[in-house]
Amino acid sequence: MLGSIIQISLGAILINNFIFSQFLGCCPFLGCSNKVDTAFGMGLAVVFVMGLASAICWVINEYILVALHLEFLQTLAFILVIAALVQFVEMFLKKMVPSLYSALGIFLPLITTNCAVLGVVLLNVQNNYNFIESLVYGITGGIGFLLAIVLFASVRERVEFAEYPECFRGFSICLVSAALVALAFMGFSGMAIPV
Amino acid sequence: MNPKKQFTEGLITNNPVLVQQIGMCATMAITTTLFNGIGMGLSVLIILTCCNVVISAIRKFIPSEIRLAIFVVVIAGFVTIVDMLLQAFVPALSEALGVFIPLIVVNCIIIGRAEAFCQKNTVKDSFFDGIFQGIGYTCVLILMCVIRELLGAGRFGGGLIDVANGFRFTLDGTGAGIQIFPESYGASIMSLPFGGFLTLGFLIAAMQYTLKKSADRKAAKAEQEKEAEK
Amino acid sequence: MNNKILRLSLVLFAICAVVAGVLGVINALTAPVIDAQKQAKTAAAFASVLKADRFEQIEFSNPDFPTVQTVHKAEGVGYVVTSVFSGAQGNITLAVGVDNDNRCTGISVIEHSETSGLGANAASTGEVGVNFRAQFVGQDESIALANAGGSIDALTGATITSRAITEAVATSIRAVKSLA
Repeated sequence: MLGSIIQISLGAILINNFIFSQFLGCCPFLGCSNKVDTAFGMGLAVVFVMGLASAICWVINEYILVALHLEFLQTLAFILVIAALVQFVEMFLKKMVPSLYSALGIFLPLITTNCAVLGVVLLNVQNNYNFIESLVYGITGGIGFLLAIVLFASVRERVEFAEYPECFRGFSICLVSAALVALAFMGFSGMAIPV
Repeated sequence: MNPKKQFTEGLITNNPVLVQQIGMCATMAITTTLFNGIGMGLSVLIILTCCNVVISAIRKFIPSEIRLAIFVVVIAGFVTIVDMLLQAFVPALSEALGVFIPLIVVNCIIIGRAEAFCQKNTVKDSFFDGIFQGIGYTCVLILMCVIRELLGAGRFGGGLIDVANGFRFTLDGTGAGIQIFPESYGASIMSLPFGGFLTLGFLIAAMQYTLKKSADRKAAKAEQEKEAEK
Repeated sequence: MNNKILRLSLVLFAICAVVAGVLGVINALTAPVIDAQKQAKTAAAFASVLKADRFEQIEFSNPDFPTVQTVHKAEGVGYVVTSVFSGAQGNITLAVGVDNDNRCTGISVIEHSETSGLGANAASTGEVGVNFRAQFVGQDESIALANAGGSIDALTGATITSRAITEAVATSIRAVKSLA
């Protein structure tokens, strides 16, 4: 059990990083990475929602969809749960933890359409993870996202001052620098985890 | 609104990926063979068109407070339908695209067009918008696939064109494609995530360059005309 | 206010119900086709790993082999073992043919979710995939990757997938041996 948890965590954070090897969550990754502060806020919000969504969707899938043989409604149910969850978390934080809300607030609505969140939930089902494994995969997948976006934001802050052809302005130069960061992350792909 | 203008918008001046810069996850993730690219492109095209039509048809009944929830439900419905049809009739494609088929739900192109276009326009306009934006998306995917497959594996049309059994198209994903140079000479890094980011980065740059050139030319022409009038 | 909330939830509920209904109908129509496709695929995988006309499923429940799913016997020719184990990204379902001398006659990846362009090559129909799978033919249970002293060359950039598959082949052969 512990072995599989370590394997899942290392896999989700480094080896199969959500951004750099699975391309899940690229839109917010490119959209919110111009400053390290915002990147960190977005990353934290994603960790939070991904962990929560993994746990809740696992329960819904196991006890409602699978139990009633309604597996074909998975995509629909999951996206609704995520949308409702994000809304709920937003209201909860606003009332109970205003300081956290002011830090994460603006990122929360964006998370509904973050494909990393729906992706992690669907991958949990595809890989037949149990409750603990799903939760771990959700949280560590989020941490992988956090790591990627913070690393990349610091690269981007420097790229701002670099000289490059004008037609590369904007997303274009970001993608090229992201490619180089992805190249660095490839170094992890040969990493072996003894089980 | 005229369809011809919508066509140029979808394909070039307001291309979803290269200009609006949305829906990039799948664009980078699945563009490793032409089979995947065309399959994904057509799936998005169909889903986008259906969603556009349905959403613009019911736009008068949608209370604005919960419009996003309703868009998401409609989109998820069509995505699941396409997912099931692919599993049943083109299983090779559904396997190759894997989790990226259900992830079309959160592809910003679809929800973006619903929010920006369909809730204000007629069914007919939304239909054309869906088709042309979908074609624009498909073209970018095809371009990405062709570049990455050629540089990465020295191939064209992998999974789609079956050369061994006479020159024909297959839908079971077994076609080996046309080998342009030996696979072992290819820079296989182009089929990896690195290649995805890099190719899209260069494509967007090329697009920005072209759009800027044509804008400059237009401006210069306008200036000349002004001069001539004087 | 209450009225409005009621109305909103009714609209949302109605749309969800319509969508769910449509999905139910389509699911009922496509489910049998999907099942048939899966069976045809498994049959094709079996035929590609072991040359035999008939495969008969035999009872196999040995706690020493938790990854083994099914064992099919082809009278006088050998066995086909299917196993599910974790690769680099997710689970891999693999069919392994084993002849009567306990040697591998071929492998076929039935299901996987490995990285496209890396681990996914194990299942690809391209040159790289075909060459990778061909290495397994004729191997016995001592099979190992080249970097572990064996003779199987791992797929480029997909050591984890390659090792998982190699181990699964060895396990399958051992499972067949345990039957004797």
